[in-house]
Amino acid sequence: MGNSLRHIYAIATNTFTEAIRQRVLYVLVVFCLVMLGGSSFCTQFDFRGDDFKFMKDLAYAGISVIGLLVALLGAALLIPAELERRTIYMVLCKPVRRFEFIAGKYFGLVALLTLFVVLMAGIFFLALWGHESALTGDILAASKGRPTELQAQMIAEYRAAAYDPALVQALVLLWAKLCLVTVISVFLSTLASSTVFIVCCTLLVYLIGHLQSVAREFWLEGTVAAAWYTRAFLAALALTAPDFQTFNLIDEIIAGNAVLWSNTLPVLGYAVGYAVVALALAALVFEEREL
Amino acid sequence: MIFKKNWKKDWAVCANELSKLYPVDWTQKRLHALDRLDLYVRRGEVFGLLGPNGSGKSTTLKLILGLLNPSSGSVQVFGAEAGTLEARRRIGFLPENAYFPAFLSGREVLRYYGRLVDLAQRKLWKRVEELLELVELTAAAARPLKTYSKGMLQRIGLAQALLNDPDLLLLDEPTAGVDPIGARQIRDLILGLRARGKTVIFSSHLLEQVQEVADRVAILHRGTVIQEGTLEDLLSVREQTQFTVSGLAPVARERLEEWLRGEGAEVLEVTHPRERLEELFIKAVEKRR
Repeated sequence: MGNSLRHIYAIATNTFTEAIRQRVLYVLVVFCLVMLGGSSFCTQFDFRGDDFKFMKDLAYAGISVIGLLVALLGAALLIPAELERRTIYMVLCKPVRRFEFIAGKYFGLVALLTLFVVLMAGIFFLALWGHESALTGDILAASKGRPTELQAQMIAEYRAAAYDPALVQALVLLWAKLCLVTVISVFLSTLASSTVFIVCCTLLVYLIGHLQSVAREFWLEGTVAAAWYTRAFLAALALTAPDFQTFNLIDEIIAGNAVLWSNTLPVLGYAVGYAVVALALAALVFEEREL
Repeated sequence: MIFKKNWKKDWAVCANELSKLYPVDWTQKRLHALDRLDLYVRRGEVFGLLGPNGSGKSTTLKLILGLLNPSSGSVQVFGAEAGTLEARRRIGFLPENAYFPAFLSGREVLRYYGRLVDLAQRKLWKRVEELLELVELTAAAARPLKTYSKGMLQRIGLAQALLNDPDLLLLDEPTAGVDPIGARQIRDLILGLRARGKTVIFSSHLLEQVQEVADRVAILHRGTVIQEGTLEDLLSVREQTQFTVSGLAPVARERLEEWLRGEGAEVLEVTHPRERLEELFIKAVEKRR
């Protein structure tokens, strides 16, 4: 067990190091900086008091897109490349179990994803702080440091919107969702060698995942008459595809609605459970794969 | 098979009626990469696997490592089933045209692979420095591998194969793309390992190099062993005799030839020995160093 953990840690740190030394990731960082910087700039336009909502929407969309790219390309590029370049031989000829290789790759990618989410979130919070400081600074300057009751209320509202602790909750959910996409990409990369195929299939599963709950309801309720094969297909979808709609809590939080941690934790538990099962399946498939 | 009784004691690798079929396409067509191959490698010997491209050399090595599963037959390494952790703990492997994580330095890559063979950190760092010195890469150890030449990469590959001080070293075309000096270093390394009682199995196209280091060879063709034995057995021409003498005057040579003919022998060739091109090259380059 101790050896397994050491191997997984070694492979994960190597995956992480190798990934962050690739230039393509720096392009993504620059892209995310430009985008988040842009969100701050856009608030100069009149959003009728919804500046913070606009910034949050844009930032979460940006983190989702960049994170999705990292999750998709990370697994789809790294594992087939190891097979193609035969660097995998150097690992698997050593006393390393195949599941350790898969788990190591996955956790390396999760570490990379975590770094990206934390980095982008840091920039986003800086942008929020900058905007809030500018708005409250204007009010305080106009009132010469003695804001009226209305102005004080506005300042309080700005601060509440900018320093909302629920944003961390939304970030954790977003991170868990991206980890789920990564595990699907890792699973598919144990089945196929083509990067394009893995990326396309992962995207397909991502889309299906957003409709999974519809399939599940249709299958479980069975109120509408359907052929047995349609029902079987929907049952297969409901049982195997991840349910990405459970992550819609993120939208609720961005919209300013209160979401309790007691609602968030089951979603995180679902993500962990799905990832464990998917990783176990990936390891099983990879165990039988000829290299 | 006489060897089967004693293999645990005497043999490092024992491949028994080993077959490997690869699917050619989506139909039922199969390609026979190995066809009931029997191979026995003694502990402490240097064993050369020869054969043209596609003869099954790399497949044999991959089966010994457990990277592939045999379609039928079995392979055992020091008594353990090939591919098990027990077997892999005792093996070091250098694949053909080895690639490494290009963004890591020579030292980093050795430390990474060393962590996978369960060396404790202090011991690992010491071992890495020893190996870097052994393969003469200490000066380049901090450089990323993408800046290494082919020969340097091959040497770092050898170093990673030696991290766990393996009892069995598998080398797939170890001198491919390496200059004669690098090839000589690899040869010396193999001989050094043999002196320490290690077993080495290597495949090569360079027959002269195989001849220099191998105790025994097997020639593979279309997945089967077509010839196997010690170099002495395979290469000796027993009905002919060769003398190499120095200081023989022309008159003495004529008298010697005459005497040999009188004894009923036929003199087939009288020549001056020639230096080998490889020796000449190494001497010339080393003089300039």
